[in-house]
Amino acid sequence: MLIVMTSTELLKSDPDPAGITVENVGRSFGDVHAVRDASFVATPGTVTGLIGPNGSGKTTLMLMLASLLQPDAGRIRVAGYSPVSETAAVRARLGWMPDVLGSWSSLSVRNALIFTARLYAMDKSTAAARAAELITLVDLTELADSPARVLSRGQKQRLSLARALVHDPAVLLLDEPASGLDPLARTQLRVLVRRLASEGKTLLVSSHVLSELDEMADGAVYISQGVTASAEALARSRASARPWRIRSSDVNALRAALVASGIEEAAIVTDRTELLVALAGEPAASALLAQLVNSGVAISTFAPAVGDLEHTFIDLSSEEAK
Amino acid sequence: MSAFFSGVGVILSLELRQRVRSVSWYILLAVFVALILIVTVLLSFALYGFRASDDGGGGIYSTIIYFVLLLGTLVAPALSGNAINGDRDAGTLATTQVTLITTWQLILGKFLAAWVTALAFLAAALPFLVYATIIGRLGIGTILVSILVLALELGVVAAVGVGLSGLMSRPLFSIVASYLIVAGLSIGTLIAFGLGGLSVQTTVTNSSSYGLQYGTNGVATECSPPVTNEYPAPRFDLFWGALVANPYVILADAVPTAYDSHDQPQDLFGFIKFSVRSAQQAPETAIVFDECAPGNVALYDQRPTARETIESTTPGWAVGLFIQLLLAGGLLAGAHARTKTPAAKLSRGSRIA
Repeated sequence: MLIVMTSTELLKSDPDPAGITVENVGRSFGDVHAVRDASFVATPGTVTGLIGPNGSGKTTLMLMLASLLQPDAGRIRVAGYSPVSETAAVRARLGWMPDVLGSWSSLSVRNALIFTARLYAMDKSTAAARAAELITLVDLTELADSPARVLSRGQKQRLSLARALVHDPAVLLLDEPASGLDPLARTQLRVLVRRLASEGKTLLVSSHVLSELDEMADGAVYISQGVTASAEALARSRASARPWRIRSSDVNALRAALVASGIEEAAIVTDRTELLVALAGEPAASALLAQLVNSGVAISTFAPAVGDLEHTFIDLSSEEAK
Repeated sequence: MSAFFSGVGVILSLELRQRVRSVSWYILLAVFVALILIVTVLLSFALYGFRASDDGGGGIYSTIIYFVLLLGTLVAPALSGNAINGDRDAGTLATTQVTLITTWQLILGKFLAAWVTALAFLAAALPFLVYATIIGRLGIGTILVSILVLALELGVVAAVGVGLSGLMSRPLFSIVASYLIVAGLSIGTLIAFGLGGLSVQTTVTNSSSYGLQYGTNGVATECSPPVTNEYPAPRFDLFWGALVANPYVILADAVPTAYDSHDQPQDLFGFIKFSVRSAQQAPETAIVFDECAPGNVALYDQRPTARETIESTTPGWAVGLFIQLLLAGGLLAGAHARTKTPAAKLSRGSRIA
């Protein structure tokens, strides 16, 4: 692998941890401030979700991390190197799966992967071996020798993922990796992402499908209007009331028990055979569940109506709107 | 250094795989060959009628070479004019740029791919060039130099196309702009030369005194007082730099000229070369004709022959090629500056990925 190191890199006094460090990064295009103030840390061995509404600056942030775009302000470290001044060192350790599906349409899946490997300065035989490995990994064996233009969206997505993994990078940026995948492929993606994290890689995954991120991410970075949410905002959001879904074979008894436990009847939402109740935090939920069980109501479901990420996302987005 | 070139080689083979191996490319090549075949056959018949002393081979040869240049410069921008922005549209540029390939490797690889593709057209035309050379009994130097210049010209057009495709964000505009540059070099240079020469004029003073009485040996012994008249003359010599940037002129000028016994050029290229070289010479601003002055009778014989003119003037092809290489190199450097990542500036509305 071709890694050109300058003497300053070798003598670096401040050894940044591997993974991703973003400090107060900003980037504007003319009058449009795509990213204003983003800060977060993603550590090796974890999967970090990058969450935000459309146009919140997720892709711009990804492009800066991928060494394609210079930040106007702030400091970025990827695998311990700066994408701006130590571009080659970052690129040797970074895999990027873009949100735009691009593939060399007349090349076969195998050749696309071989060429990608050779763009990472691997020799021909190493490149061919690596391509064969990746084809098996992303389950494209049957299509290995078909041109990329006949692939479906989900298959292209898998090819794109394989391409990001060609040089076995320590840091992976996945921009909407699950879009277009069928449920089975999504499960496989989740398993693969977790496995890569267990191998000690740092993964940053952006997605709109929050329930899915909930299943694979260890933590999340929320970005809205170019600003990442602060730790305080996250804590506030966690403490704020969120709906819980309670199911019982006897809805009327459940409703009566809820009213008896001090919840106003008007605040109880009926959703088919289930009731939704707003509760502030986990302790309140535990207390309510204990009360309901004691009162003898048959409870079959007691769970948050929305996932952690979705709750935080909606909470922070509505906070922004205020 | 070898790592640099192996990277260029990967981009080159990727480009050739991706772009060239398509059915439409082969159809284009077939149409190209068919056109040259038609022109060669028709020219052979046409010149056979004149029964030129060299069987018309020189004429055919020059014309075929020009035809290959014309078609080559018409095809090359289409092959190269979307090399970079087309990839950006297809979403494959950024995924290449995040690898260990540097921007220069990317641009040079794409340029070489466009050049090699254009050279395939030249290779397809070679049988016709060889045919014309044999029929025309032309020297080996002539055919080698003209093929070399053709190859260089196709390279310049390929570089212009790749350069503009990096500088402009829309493939359609960059292809059209490449055609405009080709048109500018092929026709614009002629217009600039003509209009420039005519707009800057010098006054020529002509003073003549004619013989009134002649001695027995026919030499004038008494002459009239000099009659002076003034007239403007165009200064084409100030604009020959524009003319030599023309690909057709470069081609004609670079080919070694064959002369006849009167030191006059024998083929089309030679005549063009002679007129282009003559344009380098400034018009004489003071012409004096005096029949009584000794030696004036030989005045007309003192005019330099075509061979003397060509041998005493600056080789315009070198100047022209230099100008073109500067243009091509400048556009490639511009493309590098615009394509370089991490990108500092983005043009309006363009998306990097």
